[in-house]
Amino acid sequence: MRTYDCKPTLNDTQVLEFCKNGFLMLDGVVPDAVNRRMLDYIEAHPTSEPTDILLEDWFVQNVITPPAVAGAVRALLGPNFALPNLMSNHRVQCPQPAQQWHRDGGSQHSPRLNYLQVFYLPQECTLESGPTELLPGSHFIYSTARHMAHYGQLRGTYYAAASAGSVFLTVYSVWHRRSASTTTGLRNLLKYNYWRTTAPARNWIEEPGFNAKAADYRMEKPVMREQFQDCYDSAEMYFWLCGQTESFHLMGGQGWPIPASTWLDGVYGYPGEPTSLRD
Amino acid sequence: METTLDLDTEQVLAQFRQGQLTEAGLRQALDRPQPAAQRQDLLYLQATSTSLVASILGMTLVQAGQIAGPVTGGAEWPYANVLEAIRDGWRVIKFPELVLLLVEERTISLGCEFILEKWS
Repeated sequence: MRTYDCKPTLNDTQVLEFCKNGFLMLDGVVPDAVNRRMLDYIEAHPTSEPTDILLEDWFVQNVITPPAVAGAVRALLGPNFALPNLMSNHRVQCPQPAQQWHRDGGSQHSPRLNYLQVFYLPQECTLESGPTELLPGSHFIYSTARHMAHYGQLRGTYYAAASAGSVFLTVYSVWHRRSASTTTGLRNLLKYNYWRTTAPARNWIEEPGFNAKAADYRMEKPVMREQFQDCYDSAEMYFWLCGQTESFHLMGGQGWPIPASTWLDGVYGYPGEPTSLRD
Repeated sequence: METTLDLDTEQVLAQFRQGQLTEAGLRQALDRPQPAAQRQDLLYLQATSTSLVASILGMTLVQAGQIAGPVTGGAEWPYANVLEAIRDGWRVIKFPELVLLLVEERTISLGCEFILEKWS
């Protein structure tokens, strides 16, 4: 197993935002020369699984482990994470209608984050060239791909339109699809996974002033869950990443982590505090 | 409700019973354009709750045998809620599956889905 370690580049707020949305875009983090070399490579190897590219040092150094990418992976998966061992290329001849909504096979729905599904755009992807469309927060919404295939236009989606050399990290189970394209030509999108090898712990960049008790766990609207469930889900995943899942506890009612700004004597029910002990 | 086809048929039959149906009249009746077969249009609406006036989270429209493309360019979606669609002539043929909504801690799909139809 090939592993890698480096300094984490995400802080508490960024980790929490990843928990809420289920993805993180790193725009233009791979140099243009590498993107061009990558396009040459996949033209010469037009397969849907160009896994041998993972044996190329120039690719590993500039796409798999550059500081911006590896640092974000390190923050989310911990030290000595395992590097990708399979490469897929979603190679699409545009124009195309939108793909069906799906989450990839093998999805496990839980607060755990033991691997990341990562996408690399070696060429610019505009709204017209069919960027990946993601539904923020959908990694907390259980469904099978077969049950969501009839869904069409959804509110609040995010289009991963970005410049060449962009990389976006996702929770494996996040709902996504290739959006409709109107341009012509080939669109390439590389996909691969990184893997956790160590127990979760809060060993990313500790942010001065960040307070998990007072943090904002809300999703931006629209939220497709019961009221406050977005806060509960995000908080539970954040606690799991901190290695504190055993202490995670929800008091319910108006207790932590529901949003409000005018608590008298602070919010009740934060894990470990006396007001969270009700049994 | 009688259709145009029914009325024309009745007129021809009346002429026949009265002995007034001519060859030209019969030919005209046989040659008249037949109305196109009706097709079922479908509208899937995923709403924030089971209320008919709940806001819409998702939409799929199947019209004239085609899955309609997305509403783009900042245009408004055709209906803000299910009730507006009903007022526009859509008939609900499937209500949300309530069993999907019973567990608060586990959100299952976009649970409040109405399926509506129209014939065109």
